[in-house]
Order: sequence, then structure tokens, then C-alpha cells
Amino acid sequence: MSQHNPETAGVSAYSQSKHSRRFDLFKTVFTLPVIIYAILLVLIPLVYIFFLSFLKSDNYGGYLFEFNLENYGEFFDSTYLSIFLKSAGIGLVTTFICLLISYPFAIFLRDLPEKRRNLIMKLVMVPFLTNSLIRTYGLITLLRKNGVINSTLIGAGVISSPLALMYNNVGIITGMVYTLLPFMLMPVCSAVVKVDQNLLDAAEDLGAGKFAKLFKIYLPLTIQGAFNGSLMVFIPAIGYFFIADILGGGKAMIIGNLIKNQFLTARNWPLGAALSIILLLFTFILVRIYRKIGGSLDELGGG
Amino acid sequence: MRERTGLIKKLFFSLAVIVIVALIIAIIIIYQPDNQETSNQRILNVLNWTSYIPDEVINDFENEYNIKVNYGTYSSNEELLAKLTSSREGTYDLVFPSDYMIDLMISRNLLETLDQEKLENKDNLNPIFLKQSYDPDNSYSLPFLLATTVFLYDSNKTGPITSYKDLKKPELENNLVMLDDQRIVIGAMLNACGYDMNDVREDHLEESLEFFNQIKSNIKAFDSDSPKTFFITKEVDAGLVWNAEAILAREENPDLTISYPAEGFALSMDNYAIVKGAKNVDSAYLFIDYLLRSDVAQKIVDEYPYISAIKGVESLPEEELERILANGAYIQNVGADIKRFDKLWAKYK
Repeated sequence: MSQHNPETAGVSAYSQSKHSRRFDLFKTVFTLPVIIYAILLVLIPLVYIFFLSFLKSDNYGGYLFEFNLENYGEFFDSTYLSIFLKSAGIGLVTTFICLLISYPFAIFLRDLPEKRRNLIMKLVMVPFLTNSLIRTYGLITLLRKNGVINSTLIGAGVISSPLALMYNNVGIITGMVYTLLPFMLMPVCSAVVKVDQNLLDAAEDLGAGKFAKLFKIYLPLTIQGAFNGSLMVFIPAIGYFFIADILGGGKAMIIGNLIKNQFLTARNWPLGAALSIILLLFTFILVRIYRKIGGSLDELGGG
Repeated sequence: MRERTGLIKKLFFSLAVIVIVALIIAIIIIYQPDNQETSNQRILNVLNWTSYIPDEVINDFENEYNIKVNYGTYSSNEELLAKLTSSREGTYDLVFPSDYMIDLMISRNLLETLDQEKLENKDNLNPIFLKQSYDPDNSYSLPFLLATTVFLYDSNKTGPITSYKDLKKPELENNLVMLDDQRIVIGAMLNACGYDMNDVREDHLEESLEFFNQIKSNIKAFDSDSPKTFFITKEVDAGLVWNAEAILAREENPDLTISYPAEGFALSMDNYAIVKGAKNVDSAYLFIDYLLRSDVAQKIVDEYPYISAIKGVESLPEEELERILANGAYIQNVGADIKRFDKLWAKYK
């Protein structure tokens, strides 16, 4: 369950009844900028989008004040539903590949001295210093027909004709995994590193091999970290339209593209709003499931 | 006690920080400088397509007339519409909407009428580009540049491509780039089936989808930002792109050929238009008049080789221009039917 510890919580805030009011005031004042920020830039737009989703489009990018549920009905049209399923498919494959990469990496990291471990984790974070759009464009130079990978492989005589590494689903998933992997690595690594060495020693004594250790010790003890990471990979993966556009050659429409199109080309903001709300509900349900199986919102970065 | 004074200090400190932050936010939100009063220098607020007028041309204008140009950009007509309708009246003076957007903006009363008498260089305009369907009397707009969709291909590898049917060729498998624009691509497929690009009949739209499905496996990518890159890096050998992109790509790769689709193609004319409630109308007229000069128009097409509306700048012979205007068609505003195009586009992809 969550890390709620009644003893420490009591000492830090509530037992000092003399200071408690002043303390609360201090806290309130200090969090005020964040509250204002959240109201201005999160709550108000959200409420706006919510109301917009029940209105009717005037076909010019504006809306008419006629309450209706049509926009939500549109979602269940087979065309849009199949886009949603395709997005979920891309999201699931991305999540699965990230999991596959993260576990061996985390187990390798566990055996390193703490200093080296921290250094490697910092290196994982380095690409984040560059805008993800620029990094995605950078991938083109590697993946395209006459790109670095293909020309190296052809030069080395490994292949005779270039591999189709982008402008298809392979490209989209490569881009998604590349961009989202750190979100999986961080929770999985921190969970794996915390696993008690005694348990592993005991398992080894009893004859457990590498796979038995992975499935019987690591996986059950780190499932929360894995689920946490999966959530943080899956949710962006269904919405990152720029990766689908750039590396998929604009051929695959995912839910993010669909929403973008409603705002930018179809001039149908109410439908775009309704689709956003559906995506939001979907995310909310996933987070609920996560909490049900015992995940903590703090580990998701405050939810 | 010491703990308490520390706390109060902290409180004051944080209060100070908050006040400063709040002030900065408030200044950013409230203070939108009213440029008109800041100095005697006249200004002009222009909103134009990205990469359309070279910086040099704007700098020369600023120096010659001592007018400061505030230059904003957009990348689609819809973005322009959203920017105009969501900003205060008088925020922008001069915009460059395309054909159907002129029509739409006139109907929504977003444009000021254009007094051609104020433009000394208006006779430089080639009359062939005037009086187009979207503004029959040119009372709101004057033509600037014409873009058309064209086929661009490497004939050594693909053979000639002159008809949409040629896009079905098996040698084009995964070898074709298309503009990432629903109206253009669906319009092309409607043309391919023998219909108008603005046809909204359900069975005709379905038929266009069937045609598209026959060439779908040949399409490597949809790209509107820079399809020329696909040709320069030899990623593809054929495509349907804008004329300027095609010419720029051919400059890099002389093996490429340009042709006009036989069944019809899209025209897109961008126009000067003054926004309703513009505050710097005089500057806007000066800027339009400046852009109407032949030497300025030449500088623009040297950099962005669209078809200029200025006489003598465009090297294409008059008959060729007439043929282009006759065979091509403008995308029209289809009102509520835009939803059907959008849904069909989702099916295309």
C-alpha cells in the first residue's frame, strides 16, 4: 500500500497544535502560485473543453449553443473506433517492448556500485534536455532509406537492399519506444534495485536459474513499478501524434492525430473536445485500476 | 521563539516571492503593448504563411518607408481563421488567405473592402489572375501567388506519370509521397474518378475511396511540410506535391520531371486582404503596393518559386497559364460537409 506512516505525519504537522494554524497559512501561501497556475491553465481549460464537448459545431471553428450528445455518439462510429483500437495496439506494443528492455537493464544496474548506477541513470535522462520533436527528426537521419543504419548495413554487406525502418509501424514504434523508454526505466529500476538480496541468494541456493529469479522473485516484487511505468508509457503513446506523423509518414492515424485534425482542419472543435474527454476518461479508468491494485499516486509523479 | 521568527521570516520571504511572481504573470497577461503610441514610427501587423516572403524583402520595405513590420505566421488557413476570430479587432492589419478562405471570410464579415485606387502598381498584375470565383470583383482581395499541385517524378525509374491512373503502377510500390492534406488528396481522387474536387455526393466520395485503395500500397508517406526532402534524399521516385516544392526539388536533382495531372489538379491562390478594423490601413496599402513591384515580386519567386501574379515575373507563357487556370480548380468551402471529408480522410488512412 502507499507509504503513509501515521507516526511521522503526526510529528511533522499535526502534533504542534500551537503552530498548526500559522503552519497551514504558510503552506497555503506557499502553494498559492501553483494553485493559481493549476486553475488558470488546467482547470479552466478543462471545464471549457468539457462544456464545448456538448455543443454543436458551426462548421467554421466556432460553436452553437445547442446541447447535444452527438459528439460522444460519433466516437462509436466504426471509423473512429478502429482508430482508437489501432492507437491502443501501438500503445500496447510500445509498452511491452519497453518492459522487455527495462528488466534486463535494471537487473544489470542493480549489481553496479551506487555511484556508477546514479551516473547511468543520469545518462538516461540526458536526451530529455533536447526537445522531443527535434529528437524525432533526428531519428529520420538514422532510419531512412539512405540513412546511417541502412547505408552501414549495406556497406558491411549484411543486407543487399535497404530495410523499411520508417514510414510504417516499425518506425512509429521505434520512435515511441525511444521517446518513452525512460518513463519505464525509472520506476522499474528503482523497484528492482530495492529487491532484498537475501531473497535472491535464497533462490539461488534452491537452484533457481536466471529466468526463475526473474519470474518468481523480481516480477512479483516489482509489479507495481512495472505497472506504474506501463501507465506512463501507454498513455502518451496513444496521443503522441507527431511521432506517428514524422516516423509513420502520416499514414497511420492515431487518436492524437484525430483530435488534432478536429481543431486544425475539420474546424469541428466540439468533436475534438468530446474525443479529448473520452481519452481523459480512459486515462482516469487506467489510473483507478492502478490504485485498486495498490499503486501510489506519488509514484506516478503526483498523478 | 527563534523558531517563530524564522517562520515569520520565511513567510515574508515567500510572500515577497509570490507577489513578484503574481505581478509578472499579471503584467504578461494584461500588458499587451499598444504599439501605436510607443513611438512616431508607423507600424504594420502582418500575418502570413510560413516561408513565403524572404526576410530581405521585408527589411527593404521597413528601411524604405520607415514602417516597422510585425510579422506573424500561420501554416494553414484554419489557423489564420482561428487567430483572427480569437484576437481583438485591430490586432492584425494584413493577411494572406487562400481562395476559399477569402470567400469564407467575406461571408463572415472579417475583411475590409480593398480600394484599388490606392495602389499605384496595380497595373503590374496579370489580369488573367483577377476576378476569380471566390471574389469576382476583387473588392476584398488581390492575387499574390498561385500554387498548383503537380506530379513530380524521376522518369528514369518510373516512366512518365501524367494521369492519376499512372499512380497505380506496380513499380511505384512504397515509392510515392502525397501531400498530407485531406481536401487535396480526396480532391485528386475525385478528379481521378472524373468528378469535381468539391463534389460531396456520398457515392462519388465512396468511389474516390475505392480508387485510393488501389494506390494506397504505393504511398510511402504523406507530408505537407517538406515533400521535396523525400526527392532530394531519394526516399521516393514520385509524388503529388505543390509546384514550388517540385521546382526546388528539381534544382537539387535534375533527373526529376514535373507534369500536370491530366484529369485536373488543385489550384491555391493566396491573396492580399486587409482585416476588418485594421488600425494601420495606410501602411497595409503601402506594403501591398510594394509587393506589387516587379523587382520585389521577382525576389519572392526566386526564393519560393510559386507562380507570381505579376506580369513579366512569371516565365510561363500566357497560353500555359490559361491552360493551368482552366484545368485546375480551387478548393471550395463546403460548409457542414467538411465533416464528411474529415471522416472519409480517417478511412483513407
